[in-house]
Amino acid sequence: MTSNSAKRTKTLELQAAKMRRNVVDICMQRGGYAGQGVALSDVGACIYFDEMRPDGNGWYHDRFVNSNGHDTIINFAAMAELGIYTMEELRTMGADGSPIDQSPIEGARGFEITSGSLGTGVSQAAGIALGERKKGSDKRVICLLSDGELHEGSVWEAFMFAAHYKLSNFVIIIDNNDLGATGKTSEVMAVEPIREKMEAFGFHARQINGNAIPEILDAFEEARNVKGKPYAMIANTRIFAGIGVYQDAIPFAHFVGANGRWDTGYLEWEPGWQEILSTIERLEAELAALDQGQT
Amino acid sequence: MSPGPYENSCHRESARHMLLTKEERQRIPSAFDDISFDLCRRRDDVIMMSADLSHYVDLFKVTKELPDQFVEVGMAEQNLVGVAAGLAKAGFVPITSTFGSYASRRCFDQMVICMGTSKNTGICIGFTPGISSPAPVHHQGTEDLGMLRAVPNATVIDPMDVTDFAQALDVACETPGLVYMRGHRGTTPKMLDPETFKFELGKTYPLRTGSGVGVISCGHASQWAVEASDILVDQGVDHSLLHVPTIKPVIEHEVIDYCFAHDQIVTIENHQISTGLGGLVSEIVCKVGRGPRITRIGVPDSWAPGGSIRHIRQHFGLDGPALAKRIEEVMQ
Repeated sequence: MTSNSAKRTKTLELQAAKMRRNVVDICMQRGGYAGQGVALSDVGACIYFDEMRPDGNGWYHDRFVNSNGHDTIINFAAMAELGIYTMEELRTMGADGSPIDQSPIEGARGFEITSGSLGTGVSQAAGIALGERKKGSDKRVICLLSDGELHEGSVWEAFMFAAHYKLSNFVIIIDNNDLGATGKTSEVMAVEPIREKMEAFGFHARQINGNAIPEILDAFEEARNVKGKPYAMIANTRIFAGIGVYQDAIPFAHFVGANGRWDTGYLEWEPGWQEILSTIERLEAELAALDQGQT
Repeated sequence: MSPGPYENSCHRESARHMLLTKEERQRIPSAFDDISFDLCRRRDDVIMMSADLSHYVDLFKVTKELPDQFVEVGMAEQNLVGVAAGLAKAGFVPITSTFGSYASRRCFDQMVICMGTSKNTGICIGFTPGISSPAPVHHQGTEDLGMLRAVPNATVIDPMDVTDFAQALDVACETPGLVYMRGHRGTTPKMLDPETFKFELGKTYPLRTGSGVGVISCGHASQWAVEASDILVDQGVDHSLLHVPTIKPVIEHEVIDYCFAHDQIVTIENHQISTGLGGLVSEIVCKVGRGPRITRIGVPDSWAPGGSIRHIRQHFGLDGPALAKRIEEVMQ
């Protein structure tokens, strides 16, 4: 690993840690989709702080469609770091009268679609990708969906469409966390083998550890170089990956209440909060050391 | 009741001019082929879309001569509307086409969520709506107007002939959010004079003036209402006709003025008698109270049989002679 890539990775790890902190900060107030947000912070950091190209006007040239409303907490967590939302605003999430929706409506700052009805984002993202290509634009379209959304038939309609139209500007990321609303995806309705299914549907597919930033970056690089096919990144994640004490406390939690409870167990917010603050401190020190080593 | 605004000579004049005479009326083959081609030639941001039914809704010329403005998604209505919403988010004006039964039932969530919550224009056309399909319930979408009318901010249009179909589609392309339209396929009548009829969103159109019984209709049923009206004119039965192509948002005071100028109101629609045009008119009149009695004619809370449109209309008493009789009877 070159020093440049070491610094790039470390920078993204730090951004991901800050996103985890923001997710926990929001969910400690009134509860929320904390497990998904924490687990997807590595993927989210790579999307917002590496893969998408800035447009020079404070937003992005490329487009990111988050199909799974529950996972949009990572959009908020990243946009807090970008200064598009303040943490003060985001801490109102879930409160009566708050402008911050847990599953935002199209038109909310930084959101492309209304994403609360699962499975409906992939077709829209594919439509955006086709539209951008028709305009002659080189914009790339990234769509994040969950393994549970693979239960929805409309996503497979969209996959067929994307392959038929050879949308090589289209990358889907499947958050493969084996978690649905009522239990493990593998037990509610099995979706594996996902990679083979995506390949059969005409995608260039790769299964990675969705909590290993170098693997995510490698997959994005590969996706940019695939011709004539859409790309599927199957990102294996586990709920709360990145905050060990939460992961030990509730390995499967669709939602965590402000009291730390879900029907599979409960967690204490404070130890995890301290853990993520320590992680940020450590990563900042490591990044500073890398900077010093370079100078 | 005292004569209302629909009695005055000004309206009588405009009404006569808007509705072509029996001799002037024409039947236009494959009307939507020309309407869609003309629209796409004028606007390169419009994209016609199909879910493997292009040939069944008269989409030919655009597919062959303007292929960049045609997107096929296969037999997948949810994806049809989802992709359309995506194209809208990339700056295009998508127009999806399928049968009304599928357009309303198979992708209602996508219409509401992907198009209905967006400011971008997304147009869904349901062809062979209501009982105008020869195949029974699976192909006959007789609930669509009610479903779509319940969606906040949606625009719902049920045009009666080629004139208002073409004009309404132009207006739809400039209307933000979800626009659901009923379409006409195959040979389509031209009953409205394009020189005098100008489609405006929400506007209601008096086609014949008179007193006593007022007949309100939309879509295919406005064709049927004109057939019945022609019979009533021959019989010397006083009545009037109001065509209401915009189901949502309709200009309510026009409906109120019309209804309160008559002793009896009959609504005729190619739709279940609940939730559609009859429901709309009843709701509007109820807001004022003490209005005329409203008789709702359409599909009477039942499944229609299959068969020719002539057969199905006769089955429900929706053919011209039966309708004329039913309109006359409400005054007795």
